[in-house]
Order: sequence, then structure tokens, then C-alpha cells
Amino acid sequence: MTESNDAPKRKGRGGKMKDAAKGVFYGMAAHGHVTAALRTRMYLEHLFMFITLGDMLGVPVIPPYYSLRILPYAVPNIKSWKQRVFRERDFTDQVF
Amino acid sequence: MVDILSTPFLWVVVTIGLYGVAYWGYGKWIDRNVWRSDAKKATPAHMYMDGVEYFPVSRYVLWGYQFKSVAALGPILGPFIGITFGWLPALLWIIGGNFFIGWLQDYGAMMLSVRKEGRSFGPITYEFTGAKGRTNLLAFVLFYLIIISATFIALIASFWNSFKGTFVATVGILFAGLLCGQLLYRVKMNVFAVTGIGLALVVLSIYLGVLIPVTLPFGVWNIPIWAFIAAIILYGAAVLPTPTFVQPTNYLAFYPAYAAIILIIIGALATPFVTPPISVQMPAGPFLFDPQGILGPIWPILFVAIACGAISGWHSLVSSSSSSKQLDIETDALPVGGGAMLSEGLLALASLIAYMVLAPSFFVGRTNVAAWVQGAVVLTTPFLGGLTTPVLTTFFGLVLIIYALTVQALVTRFFRLVAAETWSEGRFHVFGNKHISTVVGLGIPWAFAVTGSWWALWLYFGGANQLLAGLAIMLITIHLARVRAPTRYSLIPGIFMIVTTLAALVWQTGTFLYSVYAYLNNDASWINRNVRPPIQNNKDYILVAVGINAVFVVVGAVLFAVGLSMAVRLFRSYRSSMAERRARAPAAADGGERER
Repeated sequence: MTESNDAPKRKGRGGKMKDAAKGVFYGMAAHGHVTAALRTRMYLEHLFMFITLGDMLGVPVIPPYYSLRILPYAVPNIKSWKQRVFRERDFTDQVF
Repeated sequence: MVDILSTPFLWVVVTIGLYGVAYWGYGKWIDRNVWRSDAKKATPAHMYMDGVEYFPVSRYVLWGYQFKSVAALGPILGPFIGITFGWLPALLWIIGGNFFIGWLQDYGAMMLSVRKEGRSFGPITYEFTGAKGRTNLLAFVLFYLIIISATFIALIASFWNSFKGTFVATVGILFAGLLCGQLLYRVKMNVFAVTGIGLALVVLSIYLGVLIPVTLPFGVWNIPIWAFIAAIILYGAAVLPTPTFVQPTNYLAFYPAYAAIILIIIGALATPFVTPPISVQMPAGPFLFDPQGILGPIWPILFVAIACGAISGWHSLVSSSSSSKQLDIETDALPVGGGAMLSEGLLALASLIAYMVLAPSFFVGRTNVAAWVQGAVVLTTPFLGGLTTPVLTTFFGLVLIIYALTVQALVTRFFRLVAAETWSEGRFHVFGNKHISTVVGLGIPWAFAVTGSWWALWLYFGGANQLLAGLAIMLITIHLARVRAPTRYSLIPGIFMIVTTLAALVWQTGTFLYSVYAYLNNDASWINRNVRPPIQNNKDYILVAVGINAVFVVVGAVLFAVGLSMAVRLFRSYRSSMAERRARAPAAADGGERER
């Protein structure tokens, strides 16, 4: 498989305007909903990680045997999980 | 020859021109010289990217999101009260307030959060004023949310009562939202197809609304019952998962709401060119006191009556909550924060124009909250002649309700979350429960909504909202003082807003207090003025009316006390920051340069 070395095509004024209009429309109509959906998924993922790896934190929800089997799949997510769980969240973060 | 000066056309052009100067002149200058935004500096969106809360988003997307989040009923209904003092002062405040204070606050709040690693106002207040300051902010926000909820519930009830066709149309949109949510998330249908179906259902809802006008048969009790129905819908919106109800409904509601704004601005620009030309009918003013003798003096009332559109504290919460975490580069803060606020000023202008073209008789007693719809119909009928007045009235009435309902759904959810934060542990943990906190967050506002007159609620809402803005500007000023940047451009607006809003709260509280005092001296006219039917002018409920006035005295006093204590904390923090700044600073690693 070869990768193209061509520089990305520069967009003309019309193309930029189109992108801007699309961006504004998406931002107004859907961006808030998309981030809300992402946040919901984040909380579900937290729950999943807690249930599956909870025994390593001293909260044995399922037997360690199963945790060990799931571990290879969970490892790539541990870093971002830790980052998100440890993040300071205040009531003013929940406005939107 | 059309007399352009007698139509609102010129004012639209002048305002757009001055907002242009605010953005490209003053805005760019502040951005370069005060905040020194740097496109090369990493923003929290890049530093802490997690693809969920922190991720860079194009400035166009973020502008759209920010504008959508800040534009609501504030700029639409504020000018209705503001025009009391003549349209000229209202226009000057919409222009001047936004020019010197409004955009500066939205943009400053966003930059402050960006420079503070994407943190929102709670932790920043904690850093600047300590734990007590944050608790103070929490208490203030709780009160603020109750007042917003009361105002919006009262307005939704009034709109359903005034425009008979809007209830069926609203229910139609809610059902369309529920259906679209199911199609989108369960059936996994394509988003464009779902949008098409949803929009067809919205049009059908408006059509059905026109066909089936709903009038409640309970006479003076209609408003309390409408308000109760609104509270039930809001309860569902706050408790159900967002993808089921709030999200798809808000998505569908976006289309008619923004179509209406565009139509009104086109209508305002077309006023000199339609036959016959649409001219300004309201007096220009300025009237230093409310000519109807209800609201009081122009200062401070005008400055709290027109909140969003000139300046609004709610925006600082939005700017520092999610937008700042997704800002791609620092230099985007001006178009996103400042640009969205100046655009909202245009929405306030469009609404002011919708009121300017109406006869002064629409504003007598200030109970005709439907005036905006009538003004919008006047402005748009010349080029939407194919649609009859009942259709346009239902459409614009529905738009008002949509604005109130969608924002209120978010406010109720936010109240629930703040209540959970406040009472999740300890003696009152029962109030942290999802259902109980929602019932409290809707029950108290419902009681206010069905008893107090809407303009009294609106002025409390404006007072609390503008005070929050003043406090946000002070947080911004403290940060600027700490990093040795010029502070006067935000300090002066901050002091002006805090003094004005505290004065407005004192005036309002004083009015309610005087009303009770007048009743004790056998003059019941004052207490009756501040309440609404069925309590108004009913001898059986006279003591209830007195009680409501007394409750409003307490609400005003608490808002004032909490706001004042917060302001004092912030001024102290500012003073100590300035003292530190004046003291000889130890040589910093960067040679003591200002923060870049």
C-alpha cells in the first residue's frame, strides 16, 4: 500500500465558505448533542472498567479470573480512564 | 420616496456597523494588548485531549454551538420591558452594553478558563476566593436557577394561554422529538432521513395547532394549570435520559427557532422597501421613569431588564464550562466567545425592532407578553403573504415556547445536578435524590410563577443574571491583575455591573417591602400590582397576596446578601492581587515578563 505524497489540495474561497457554513450549521444543530452522547458513553465506560477491573482497586465485583481474561482488552483504555476519573469536576462543569 | 429614517432599517445598519467596530477594533485590540492571545500556545483541548470533554473543534462549529447555547428567551423578552423607557435608551444599551461589557465577559470567561487549563468557574472561584467563596457561588447559583425557572415557567404558561394553537403544536414537536430519538438510536436510521421526517412532523404540528386551538375552561386558574402542565413536561425532560427526549426535541426545535430569527432580521431590513413601509410607532424616549409608574427609574431597571443581548452571566458559565475545553487555538476565543455574543446582540436588536413597530397600546400594563409575536407577524407578513396571520401567529408563538422550553429543560437538569452536589451527603441528603430535587426545582418556581407578576420575576431574573455577569467580570479582572495585564478595561465594567445590579435588587426588594407597608396602611393597590390573577384583586386571597409580597422581599434580600458577600470577597481578592502586583516581585524564570 502506498501513500500519496501530494500536499492536500488547497481550498478556494468558495470551498472555505462552504466548510464554514457546514461547521456553523453542525455546531448549532448537533455539536451539543454529540458531546452529550460522548459524555454518556464515557460514564458507561467508567462503569464497565470499574466492574471489570474493580478487584484491582480493592472492590471485588467479579472474580479476578474473569478480570484477568478481560485485562488485555482493557489495558489500552487504562491511561485515558485514569485521566478522566481523576479529573477535577465541579458543578459548573455540568452546565452543558 | 421612502422615509428611511421613520423605519427601523437605519438602526439595524448602525448597530451592525458598531458591532463590527466592537469586534474588529476594540475586540482585536483587547485580544492583542490585554490577553495577548497566542495561536502557538497549546490550549486545554490539545493538552488534555481525551476525545470526550477535551478535543479541538473548528472555530465555526464552536461559534455555532456557543451561539445556540447562549441565545434564548433573554434577548427576545428583555427589550419588551426595556422599551418602557423609550426605544432609544434600549437600543443604546443593546449597542453600548455589548460593545464595552457583553462580548468582553463572554470572551474573557473563555480565555480565563483556557489559561486555567480548562477549569470552570467553580474551581477558579475556589482558587481566587477560597472554599467559602465557592460555597457562596453555589448558593447564588441555586437561587439564580430557581428564579430563571420561575420566569420561564410563567412565560410558557402565558404563551400557551395567549396563543390557542401553540399547545397542540408544542405537543406535536415533543412527540416528533421522542419518535426521532427512537428512529435515530434504536432503529439506527440515517440522520438526514430522521431530520426529514422530523421536520415534516414539525410542519404538521404547526398545521394541527392552527386547526385545533386549545382553550382551558378554568378562567383565572388557566395559567396555574398551564404552568403545571409545563412543569410535568420539564420533569420528564430532567429525569429521562437525554437521548430519549431532550436531545432529539432540542435538535428538531432548532430549525423553527432559527428560521424565525432569520425571518425577523430580513423583515427588519426590508421595512423601508415594502408597501406600505413599516414605520416605528413606539416613542423614542428617553423616559427617566416608567411612564406607567410601575417599574421605577431607568437606572438601574433598564440595565437588568435587557440582560442577554447586552450582557448576561449565564454566558460566562457556558463559555467556561464546555467551549473553553474545545477551543483549538487561543486566537479562536474572540470569534467564538466575542463573536457569538455580538451576534446575540443582533437577536436582541431584531426583537427590539419587533416591538418598535407596534402601537404603544400593546405595552399598557406590561401583561401582553405576546407582543413579540404580533411584531414578528407585522415584520414578516409583507414577504410571507402566502401564509395567513393565524399560521404566522402559531409559528412565532411556538418559537417563543420552544426557546423557553428547551432552555428550561437544561436549567432543570442543571438544578438537579447542583442539588446533588450540594446535598448528596449529610442531613439533607434526601434533596440530592434525582426525583426529589427535580420536584423541588420545579415546585418552588411553579409557586412563584403562578403567583407573582411576570415582570417582577423578570427583573429578579435580570438582577441575578447581571450580577452573575458582574461577578464573572471580577474573576476575569483578578486573573488579569495576577498576571500583570491591564485591568481597567474589565474592572470598570465589573464595578458598573455589580453596583447596578445590587441597586436593582435593592429597588425591587424595596418595592415589595413598600407594598406590604402600604397594605398595613390600608392601601392594597401595591400588593395587588405585584401578583397575578386569581390572587390579584380578590378579597378572599388578600392575605395570600401579602404573603407572596413578603416572600419576594425575602428572595430579593437573600439574592442581595449572597451577591454582596460574593462581590466583597472578589473585591478583597482583587485588592490583594493588586497589592502583590505592586510589591517588588521576585525575578521569575521568564525574567518577570507578563504572561504571554
